[in-house]
Amino acid sequence: MSQAETASSPAIGLDGLTVDLGGRPILVDLCASLRGRAIGLLGPNGAGKTTLLRTLLGFFPPTAGSADVLGFSLAGQGKQLRAQIGYMPENDAFVAGMTAVRFVRLMAELSGLPPEPALERAHETLFYVGLGEARYRKLGTFSTGMKQMVKLAQALVHGPQLLMLDEPTNGLDPPARTRMLELVADIRDRGEAHILLSSHLLGDVEMLCDEVMILKNGRIAAICDLEAERKANRSFVELELQAPNEAFSAELTKLGCELAVHESGRMKLVLPEGRTIRDLYTVADRLDVGIRHIDLKRDSLQDIFLRAMEDDNGGV
Amino acid sequence: MAVYERTWRRYSGELTALKGRFLVVTKYALADVFASRLFTAFFAVCFLPSVVGLLFIYLSHNATLLQQLGMPADLMDVLTAKFFMILFSWQALPAFLVAVIVSPSLISADLANNALPLYLARPIDRREYVLGKMAVLAILLSPMTWVMGLLIFGLQAYFEGGDWWLQNYRIGLAYLVGHLAWIAVISMLSLAISAWVRFKPVARGVLFGIIFILAGFAQAVNGVTGTSWGDLIHLVRAINSVVMSLFGAPTPSGLPVVFNWLTLAAATALSVWLINRKLRPHEVVR
Repeated sequence: MSQAETASSPAIGLDGLTVDLGGRPILVDLCASLRGRAIGLLGPNGAGKTTLLRTLLGFFPPTAGSADVLGFSLAGQGKQLRAQIGYMPENDAFVAGMTAVRFVRLMAELSGLPPEPALERAHETLFYVGLGEARYRKLGTFSTGMKQMVKLAQALVHGPQLLMLDEPTNGLDPPARTRMLELVADIRDRGEAHILLSSHLLGDVEMLCDEVMILKNGRIAAICDLEAERKANRSFVELELQAPNEAFSAELTKLGCELAVHESGRMKLVLPEGRTIRDLYTVADRLDVGIRHIDLKRDSLQDIFLRAMEDDNGGV
Repeated sequence: MAVYERTWRRYSGELTALKGRFLVVTKYALADVFASRLFTAFFAVCFLPSVVGLLFIYLSHNATLLQQLGMPADLMDVLTAKFFMILFSWQALPAFLVAVIVSPSLISADLANNALPLYLARPIDRREYVLGKMAVLAILLSPMTWVMGLLIFGLQAYFEGGDWWLQNYRIGLAYLVGHLAWIAVISMLSLAISAWVRFKPVARGVLFGIIFILAGFAQAVNGVTGTSWGDLIHLVRAINSVVMSLFGAPTPSGLPVVFNWLTLAAATALSVWLINRKLRPHEVVR
């Protein structure tokens, strides 16, 4: 898929996708067109996140409706589709008795890479995820963090167009979690692959994703373009001065800001169109006012998520 | 991209053919099997009956060598259909033992470590995964059975010359079809056990049990009922009867040979069903 195609066509298109398992509806009438570079899949436990990932991988046949991923239809193009996907499952998953490099190479070969490029990329990918020095160790001896990284490596090794990550930071300590998030952010920023991130950690999704689909009881509760939300809320500012300063407030009013001032020196304001944070610093510098804290206030993903969870009818 | 760059990029090189992708599963499983020197040595020993058979045929047709070795010149007289039937059994037995050794970990290890979603998230489906595992057994068992069998048949035909091979084509047919049927049955059966039984010793015990305890039970049924209907669950007798009929010899089963074929087909179908049932839930529920 070319860059132009990537921009124009949805990465994931769901058209009335319904999945029943054991006679119970797990996913119900999902309709969405997800175009984000990094798409977050949010929802409480049992919302159907993992089932949706697995359905997109072709593990479950849809009971009704259809889905397209990267332009490939789930019905009839499953193999072509899976060749373009890298999947990192939530739970421990590896092949017994293998070293990391052999395991990742096996996965690369299964995706269609000839043996030599598969070996080469296995080494490269393991170095990329930070397991270069441990690549000849048996997987059974790996810590939880290392197993997560090797799962990421096997998902990346064949250079997929879509990376499906199911709870990638599960069980990781803070440094390992940071490393994992940095890696995913790096992959996103390279712009060579879409990312579909399933997580119940709002912070991870907010940090990495530009589009979010929230599931609740197998239905879409909300779809949110985080990038647009960020832009729309850019003008709301929370500000705290070292001491209340009326002259500063008056200057901001002259700039056209709407503001509410608290006695403690805190103020909330809305910047008018054409004004930026830099203008606030300029005024503060001119009046010799000390700014203790400044924050771009926006509608956080947590607010969006909570609203979606409260809304029984969904808030698409 | 070099390792020191610690970067990631898309792959834009050539891809292997989708049709033969299942052989990647086979390749890695075979490498694991032959990682054991003990198994490699045993595998070599399994060719002994066939090598002895080849030597025997060579000696039988070399009067000068026989004379030099002080062996009777009428050694060739024993090269009857019975010789080939006995040799068949001596090829089938080691093949069974190889299946018993190799098969228990073929699927169970992947299920135990939750590897199936990793395989099936690639352009390979469940059928190809099983095909890849079955190919491991087929590749291991074929050389020591039908390949060597046909080689022996070919050597004998070469020494005999004329139209011996035409008059005795049933021997070659029995080696090919009989061994392939045995490989198919034993492979599917052992893979089904591997899918359902996690522990290797137990899996081996179950395979032995199905083959031999079922045979004893079948004998008991035959004894009690005074019929041969017990042969319907007697796998060893079924394959024996099939092979004997291919050789053109009387079969040990009291049932028509078509029933023996049905027994083998039913065992294979049941194994496929069991594998299908076990592999499906691991895609659905963990």
